Amino acid sequence: MGQLGRRLRLGADQLSLNLPAPVSSRLAWIRRGLAAIGISGRALVIAAPAAWLTLFFLVPLAVVFGISLATKEFGQPPYSDLLTTDKGTVQLTLHLSNYIRIFTDPSNIYVNAFLSSIRIAAVSTVFAILLGYPMAYAIARAPDRWRNILLMLVILPFWTSFLLRVYALSGFLRGEGVINNTLAVFGIAPLTMMQTDFAVYVGIVYSYLPFFILPLYTNLVKLDPSLLEASADLGARPIRTFISVTLPLSMPGVIAGAMLVFIPAIGEFVIPSLLGGPGTQMIGRILWDEFFSKTNWPRAAALAITMLIIVVIPIMLMQRAQNAVVEGRR
Amino acid sequence: MAKRPQLAADTRPWRDPSAKPFVRIRNVTKKFGDVAAVDDLSLDIYKGELFCLLGGSGSGKSTLLRMLAGFEAPTSGSIEIDGQDMANVAPYNRPINMMFQSYALFPHMTVWANIAYGLKRDHMPKAEIAARVDELLKLVKLEPYAQRKPHQLSGGQRQRVALARALAKRPKLLLLDEPLGALDKKLREETQFELVKIQETLGVTFIVVTHDQEEAMSLATRIGVMNQGEIAMVGEPTEIYEFPNSRFVANFIGSANMVEGVVTEDEPDHVRIHSAELGTDIYVEHGVDCSPEQILWWAIRPEKVLLTREKPEPQPGIPDGANIVKGYVEDIAYLGDMTVYQVRLDNGRYMRVTKTNMRRGDPDAISWDETVWASWAGASGSVLTN
Amino acid sequence: MGRNRWFLPIAASIGFIFLYAPILSLVIFSFNANRLVTVWSGFSTQAYADLWADPQLLPATWLSLQIAAVSATIALVLGTLCAVALVRFRRFRGKTVLQATVSAPLVMPDVITGIALLLLFVTMQGLIGWPAGRGIVTIILAHSTFCTAYVTVVVQSRLADFDMSLEEAAMDLGASPVRVFFDITLPIIAPALVSGWLLAFTLSLDDLVIASFVSGPGSSTLPMIIFSKVRLGVAPEVNALATIIIGLVALGVVVATIYSLRQGGKAKQA
Repeated sequence: MGQLGRRLRLGADQLSLNLPAPVSSRLAWIRRGLAAIGISGRALVIAAPAAWLTLFFLVPLAVVFGISLATKEFGQPPYSDLLTTDKGTVQLTLHLSNYIRIFTDPSNIYVNAFLSSIRIAAVSTVFAILLGYPMAYAIARAPDRWRNILLMLVILPFWTSFLLRVYALSGFLRGEGVINNTLAVFGIAPLTMMQTDFAVYVGIVYSYLPFFILPLYTNLVKLDPSLLEASADLGARPIRTFISVTLPLSMPGVIAGAMLVFIPAIGEFVIPSLLGGPGTQMIGRILWDEFFSKTNWPRAAALAITMLIIVVIPIMLMQRAQNAVVEGRR
Repeated sequence: MAKRPQLAADTRPWRDPSAKPFVRIRNVTKKFGDVAAVDDLSLDIYKGELFCLLGGSGSGKSTLLRMLAGFEAPTSGSIEIDGQDMANVAPYNRPINMMFQSYALFPHMTVWANIAYGLKRDHMPKAEIAARVDELLKLVKLEPYAQRKPHQLSGGQRQRVALARALAKRPKLLLLDEPLGALDKKLREETQFELVKIQETLGVTFIVVTHDQEEAMSLATRIGVMNQGEIAMVGEPTEIYEFPNSRFVANFIGSANMVEGVVTEDEPDHVRIHSAELGTDIYVEHGVDCSPEQILWWAIRPEKVLLTREKPEPQPGIPDGANIVKGYVEDIAYLGDMTVYQVRLDNGRYMRVTKTNMRRGDPDAISWDETVWASWAGASGSVLTN
Repeated sequence: MGRNRWFLPIAASIGFIFLYAPILSLVIFSFNANRLVTVWSGFSTQAYADLWADPQLLPATWLSLQIAAVSATIALVLGTLCAVALVRFRRFRGKTVLQATVSAPLVMPDVITGIALLLLFVTMQGLIGWPAGRGIVTIILAHSTFCTAYVTVVVQSRLADFDMSLEEAAMDLGASPVRVFFDITLPIIAPALVSGWLLAFTLSLDDLVIASFVSGPGSSTLPMIIFSKVRLGVAPEVNALATIIIGLVALGVVVATIYSLRQGGKAKQA
């Protein structure tokens, strides 16, 4: 390698251009070897994560779909085989019973759970917007020094455990919790906040608020202040400037942030478990129970697929909105 | 700043028909989608030149430079450097180095490491690298700054590091992308001197891309004026300025008074053009390749026009009434070293005339609203047929 | 804003109080002598002693830290490769699919990802015998997968802003594309890689749902232990653990912010 390297270096000094590749580097040997088999470096960079994600993300989704078409059985694993061989024939048995049951269960438990999940997620998102917009706006308009500190304060809870924060909230809201104890000092009767839909709203807003604030803040901070000045110059009062200029321009940020709250909230499990009551039926919890308590894996799989379909629509809308922002920027 | 006598007329390679060009660009086209940034362009550049590609934005000059460097591949056509075809040769294998417009200094490396980077890629022994880097630091006068990082340097210092880094590998060809663009006027003038000195001392061929006419005129041995992906004209600065080959070039470099006219006399030793726009006849003292009754354009530079209060005597050989117009001075701009006169001619058209201020505080200078005669010599203007 | 000048600061303050009040109460009551946790009856560090003695919490913490470190590292490598592919390679077959696959875990509910991965592991075990049973390995595989999405986002946005002329300059000086990546690109985007790793680490450390699905006997992660404890009511030792975690995180965030503020003081880099 040394001899060859030296000879090649001399060649390089004479600016001989007949080097096919930078062969003085060991990596180049590897590349030439791969090229001989027809694999380029580019392909490897794409292939490694693509293969991983295909195996551990796309394939699992296909598996879930497949198992959603099975029925519950005893044994390991607790569901029926889709493909069975019997006396030389291969039989494919698909059960649509799970999906049928989801939509036609007499107690409507599943449909209600889906609807209430969407409802709860939507209401929580609205609260998050109402609480988060002023915060994002205030940070964006704060003087530079304060801005970083405020951002840090918004991000800090995000880095602490999600679970612990929800637990902290439960300590706050429960019958003998901080709020009620404070109210008791003033002689006010304790409020029942735990195990209600209200607690879940609070929980979702509490946990996802940083996710809403950050994209909105990024959008607001890039807002051209001269636009606001132009509006004022043309005679608009601050409120009007906000409604006509700031609000519309911040819409992409609001939508991005709202999607980051709404979509995961639909399938939330931890918050309804710790803060909600038996009346708070969210689909994440139902799926969990089907899987762990009732060991009905196929039913849970069917619920997962249904949830995925419901969630895909807002995801696609969000992607389209993001692409629009990127295109506009370009 | 004209080239020094070192390069006497007979050593200018582009004037020697048998000289082999160092860079041959042949029928190169570069298309982005349907738009041709460079359109069927051919150009020869010779060793030791300081060649300037001059053009506005969208002229294709930067695209051409990037193709020379290897960052873009031509859609069609070929590029040869030192006799070797550059097709499929990656940028890291070309005997070229480039000085980027933004300098592109590696922010996480010191000045020393930046300059040494190219040498390390060639696997030069450590001692040689150290010697070479020291040599370059001395050349650009940045020895005390060797251990600084780019963000700790001023704009002018960063530019010198970029230059040193580009020269480190002793390239045969150096590409410079708007090298003086980010510098202020004083620094720019100083750096122009230094750049030319370095180029002449090292004998490296420079190709400079710029949109600044003054820069091109002062730096270049030859200029290639580009327009919309094509070369409008190639020539030495004097040729470009005094003998433009088209209306575009005449208008692009410096300023010119340009009028349309029709040929009334077409002889081998003179041409007479009648211009209604100017309101007079133009007498050109040499033959021009045109035909009688042909419509063409004529341009004259502001500094070639003489303004007088009285009608001057006609110059020998010029027929009476030709090469002279009357008007009055509508506006004056005093620029210190010269004065610009906006003259409104009798027929309503404007003419721009400049005059060097030879005397300090001239009490006799022509002033606003004065009636003046503008006249010029028979060979002072250019006849343009396209 | 005239007379409405107080609206914005007040609304924002309400938000911040809302964010921090429960956390603060958590910390305060970890020092509560009363096991009821929410009624103050004196200062005491009993909860911390309970934490130290608890047979489950500390071993689970150690396990979670290890899993998080490994998953974050795998996610960093995969995520960086993904980001490079998505930003630098202009077109290739399946680019939109890759982009979608990599963004999906960001918004998909955890339960779907959890059940999908579990069913995959069960099926794989049935077909080829690996993974044999669920445990640390499956948790690491699962965490690496969903953390890759987050790392990709972070690195992708950094790469998109990257000054390409630096890479071109390096190539012009003789560096091959791979060399350019390791000499120039990587060192300059290093802060993004660090924050990507930290993000992946935190998410892995904090994950409850996915870990619950894909873990096995003997591989209970910290969130799983915490969840089982707090389901039944208040647990002072959890308060103690939470206080310690919050303290460490706060310290880390403050240090990071100071560091990045000082970096920002220097001239803007590539």
